[in-house]
Amino acid sequence: MATASVSTPLKSHHGIFSTKTAGGRMPLTPSPRARTTSIATNVSTTPSPFTPPRPDRSIHKRETSTIFSRSVSRSVSKFAYAQSPKSNIAKCKKSPKHLDLGVSDFTLVGTGPSTTTPSRERLRKDTTVRARGGKTTIRVPHQTADRFIPNRSASEGIVTAGSAKSDENSRPKTSSSDTSSVLNGAFGISARNADADITAALDNLGLEDDNTTASSRSHSSASAYESTLASACGISTNQRILAFKPAPPESSKPIDLRTQYNRPLKQASAQSAQFRRRIQSAPERVLDAPGLVDDYYLNLLDWSSQNQVAIGLERNVYVWTAESGTVSQLLEAPADTYVSSVKWSGDGAYVGVGLGSGEVQIWDVEEGTKLRSMFGHDTRVGVMGWNKHTLSTGARSGLVFNHDVRIAAHKVAELVSHTSEVCGLEWRSDGAQLATGGNDNLVSIWDARSLNAPKFAKKNHRAAVKALSWCPWQLNLLATGGGSYDRHIHFWNTTTGARVNSIDTGSQVTSLKFSNHYRELVSSSGFPDNSLSIWSYPTLVRNVEIPAHETRVLHSCLSPDGQMLATAAADESLKFWKVFERKAGVSASASREGGIGKGGQLAKQMTIR
Amino acid sequence: MAVGAKEKADTHKIALKGSAKTVAEFFEYSINTILFQRGVYPAEDFTPVKKYGLNMLVSSDDQVKSYIKKIMSQLNKWMMKSKISKFVVVITSKETGEHVERWQFDVQVFGKGSKQKSSKQEVESENATPGTAELEPEKTEVQIQEEIQAIFRQITASVTFLPMLDGNCTFNVLVYADADSEVPLEWGDSDAKEIKNGEKVQLRSFSTTNHKVDTMVSYRLLD
Repeated sequence: MATASVSTPLKSHHGIFSTKTAGGRMPLTPSPRARTTSIATNVSTTPSPFTPPRPDRSIHKRETSTIFSRSVSRSVSKFAYAQSPKSNIAKCKKSPKHLDLGVSDFTLVGTGPSTTTPSRERLRKDTTVRARGGKTTIRVPHQTADRFIPNRSASEGIVTAGSAKSDENSRPKTSSSDTSSVLNGAFGISARNADADITAALDNLGLEDDNTTASSRSHSSASAYESTLASACGISTNQRILAFKPAPPESSKPIDLRTQYNRPLKQASAQSAQFRRRIQSAPERVLDAPGLVDDYYLNLLDWSSQNQVAIGLERNVYVWTAESGTVSQLLEAPADTYVSSVKWSGDGAYVGVGLGSGEVQIWDVEEGTKLRSMFGHDTRVGVMGWNKHTLSTGARSGLVFNHDVRIAAHKVAELVSHTSEVCGLEWRSDGAQLATGGNDNLVSIWDARSLNAPKFAKKNHRAAVKALSWCPWQLNLLATGGGSYDRHIHFWNTTTGARVNSIDTGSQVTSLKFSNHYRELVSSSGFPDNSLSIWSYPTLVRNVEIPAHETRVLHSCLSPDGQMLATAAADESLKFWKVFERKAGVSASASREGGIGKGGQLAKQMTIR
Repeated sequence: MAVGAKEKADTHKIALKGSAKTVAEFFEYSINTILFQRGVYPAEDFTPVKKYGLNMLVSSDDQVKSYIKKIMSQLNKWMMKSKISKFVVVITSKETGEHVERWQFDVQVFGKGSKQKSSKQEVESENATPGTAELEPEKTEVQIQEEIQAIFRQITASVTFLPMLDGNCTFNVLVYADADSEVPLEWGDSDAKEIKNGEKVQLRSFSTTNHKVDTMVSYRLLD
């Protein structure tokens, strides 16, 4: 009768069950619905008779003495299965508890799982109905199918119930001739559908199931839970799933897979990861710089070729020796003025100090003595630059003087171009050209041989130009950065005077430094970013932006070996950044030894303490 | 005779070691291939390397490289001790945290189950004529490489039927290890990170003298 309808997987089960090789429960992989239908048919044929005797066996196995509890558990399991057959694990966990509840309290069980209670009632009704009339039972079978599925993966209680049912069903089907088996099967079906029928069926089934389950799975709830979990995951209990806990690195950018499927073999210009260098974004060292004047137009920080950093703090100039980490006060200016600029000579032996009064002093740092004072400016000297024995000084008046520091009549040239304060001044490393920038938004490029008028006067910037840097690998390339209204970095060919590139940085450019080792330059910025940006040249790609200071970065200078950048900011701190760190394997082409703007002195490996 | 047995044991050990190495290496290239093919990291982060007769793409990003290296160094140790039964790469959406794709490599170690068998064979080999101890002809290195190549070709080809990933994904590595394995701090117990309602596709396998590796990808079905 029912057997004909049973699907192939069911048949296999039946065969197994019929042989009563209960020890190994069959995996219920085949489609549950097919089974259910078959079951249903069985049920209709053979109703209640077996139900009463079976309960005892089932109780023993489940540890729940009452039939009700069993029925409850079954119903629960069925519901869970019906809801989500695939996620067996979670259901399994719940099911044992439900079973226990059911055992202890009838009412509790029913109430607890809302789904279960109705199922019980239905089941009971169904069972009764079925036992007497086959019609009702027929409807039930579909539900049973759902219940069936869970049985496979179900926890012990569920498993037993489910397995028992399945066994019964299979048995009846297989041995349809045996009335008892048929009855069992019917009961099992009914049980699935209706609790009462189920209980009876369960007893029978439970016995068989228990045997099978016992052999295959451990009876203890914990082990059963584990095993169900394990089986659900497709692993055995003596295994662990281990995950590598550290989070994988973030992707450097969002990826559109579609471009990935259809991309050129060689990327045209995009820098591949192996050549991308990592830039430390944390400062190597932080020093206090109390009293640092928050004035964009001053130049109060410089790093010598002898690895000493001079910084002007109000009226004082301090020298910090990187090798030893010691700080010494070099000078204190008179009370009526302040230090407006400091600049090391190329050999690192002397430091030029510009004062607010317009006086320029030259100090021997080793001796700690002032060598001479040079007068001439009547406004503050905000910027200076050495070219061998020539010291160029730019003043608020807009005048730039060249001083030959060796002779008494020190003023050798007066460079007239700017109409407002000169705040940027940089000699090219070979001393052939001088670039000056001023508050008149002008960049003047001077030929050292003819200082009567600037070779080029560039008016592209729309704000004061303080940031100037000559390119170490291309002598006629000059980068200039404008102030807060301008925010641009312009690149100039100083031979032709042409502007060759521009970057909109988005914030005030307070300083610019080309790297000696990389085709890169670093810019420091004021409002709103207060950051350091490292740009590739000539691609103009911003490689990294480092949030550097809390307030605008006022000054920056490179260490003699070109790896370290020192920045001083209005937050009164002096920070050291390893922005151009050289790795051991860097190829010769990438590294460019030799100082830029350091009087041509060879850079040395240096340490900072 | 004893000397002979010892020699045999040694060669077996070496074979296991080499086999474990082959499998671990296969895993390493698998991770890289999956990360590349599934767009977990940008394509320009990968450089081609000749391997298995193919141009395998491996990450050249320092962080990714060191991350994979850390995984592989532990995996190598486990493989040498035959502690691993599954190696899984799970791709997870960053936005929803949902597991969207799961690459599973099942490892079977022949040595483990057949230990008694091999001892039996030894006993029997006393009767057998020398030279016939090895019943199965060993696969050559070339054959193994070809099998692995076929898997990678399949992984690459599977991109065609796998659902589009939005590119905002990350990945995790799982290992199914024996309960008695030594577990370093960086590894912790995890769930299986299965794909809910996932579709599963079995890919090719390869086997060495001591290991068999099955490949399977499961992915989220589009609603």
